Amino acid sequence: MAQETLAPTTLASGGRVAVLTAEGVEKSFHRGIWPLRRKVEVLRGASLEVRAGELVGLVGENGSGKSTLIQVVVGLLGSDGGSVKRPERIGYCPQQPMLWEKLTVAEHFQLYGRAYGMDDEELAAAEANLLDELQFARYRGYRIEELSGGTRQKLNLAISLMHEPALLLLDEPYSGFDWETYLRFWEMAQRRRDAGMGILIVSHLLAERERLDRMYELCEGRICAC
Amino acid sequence: MLSAALPTSTAFVREHLRAPLTLAMLIAIPVFFVLVFASVLGEFSEALGGTLASQSATAISAGWATAFLCGALAFFQVSSSRGADRRLAAAGLGPLRVALSRIFAALAIGLTVSAVAFATLWLRSGVEHPLHAFAAIFAFAATYTGIGAVVGAFVKGQLEGSLLVVLVFSVDAFSDPQMTSNGLIAQTPTGEAANLLVAAGGGQGSPGGDWAGAGLIALAALAVALAAFWSSARMRA
Repeated sequence: MAQETLAPTTLASGGRVAVLTAEGVEKSFHRGIWPLRRKVEVLRGASLEVRAGELVGLVGENGSGKSTLIQVVVGLLGSDGGSVKRPERIGYCPQQPMLWEKLTVAEHFQLYGRAYGMDDEELAAAEANLLDELQFARYRGYRIEELSGGTRQKLNLAISLMHEPALLLLDEPYSGFDWETYLRFWEMAQRRRDAGMGILIVSHLLAERERLDRMYELCEGRICAC
Repeated sequence: MLSAALPTSTAFVREHLRAPLTLAMLIAIPVFFVLVFASVLGEFSEALGGTLASQSATAISAGWATAFLCGALAFFQVSSSRGADRRLAAAGLGPLRVALSRIFAALAIGLTVSAVAFATLWLRSGVEHPLHAFAAIFAFAATYTGIGAVVGAFVKGQLEGSLLVVLVFSVDAFSDPQMTSNGLIAQTPTGEAANLLVAAGGGQGSPGGDWAGAGLIALAALAVALAAFWSSARMRA
């Protein structure tokens, strides 16, 4: 697959900078063992675009390929065809928190701060801000195995935001959130959108349409409505 | 590269230190193998047609305790952290730095397990050549770190993978030329390390061929472990 770092001057059709352009992405998986091995086509030429300062939804039924498309964009999965252009600095919040059970919340911030290339000062500021914004500062010294599902999800989201990426990819980021946290999440997303961040949110809830600037629907591996 | 990998590896070591049962096993397994298992190992070997004497059985059991622990811990390092490691690599650390962090953590764990097994052996029967014995025990650790990591990289299921590590360990331990007379498997992963450990425990010198063989296998196993950690942290095809 061709995956490129996007030039910051690339303009999308709406006049804003495109921070993500995926064109004709194809992905299939092989399941089972020989001679019963079969090929499952998940993405069959999916294309989408996200511009700076835009909150875009990606909806579709279970198994339509939403999470697979996001993982291809992030670089966790290779694709069989198509191309992805995105900035080097992205944030990714997976559907299931990918965390280390025995490490604390603070240690996760440190590990990711280093991975993002943040210095100590930036890291401390980002950590304090996100702990406050998502209201889980009291769990800073807790290990992941000691946290509730909702608090794990708050950390999962905070990790993706701490370096203020140009493109944020959120795969059902609010599962496990209570109603207040859910509303706070949308406020946070909208504030960052207004500050120029391009955000792609995977969801299966069509009811969220009014909170989004645009929405893509994925059907059997292709964008079928937008 | 190393400056980024070392702090991450200390976090990975802390993961193990915060598992109380794992810590208990680091003590219990070498003690069990050296104090209890070794006493019946000589008789067991005789029944299989091998030549393992009581003193040798005590020495070699320290190596097998280390092998068993390091194989299991390396397997679970890969198996239980696959998703989190890949996310960290994709976030900017990169699969090579994640793999280096994992190998440093595995080496620290291997040295700790080797030290516990060596101390148990020392207290149980004394060791004539302590440095030789420690090097041989660490060769067991390195070899099984490679085996555990490679199984973890290719077998996704935790039950299936841990069973496979135990199978490799069983075949290795019970096919050793000193354990059996029929020589079903001429070359086992820890054959040379076992020769070194038996010789060191009994106060005998070891031929250069055994040192070279054990060293090469240990280094190759660590290279395989690094490749397995890298493979688990990189983009999936």
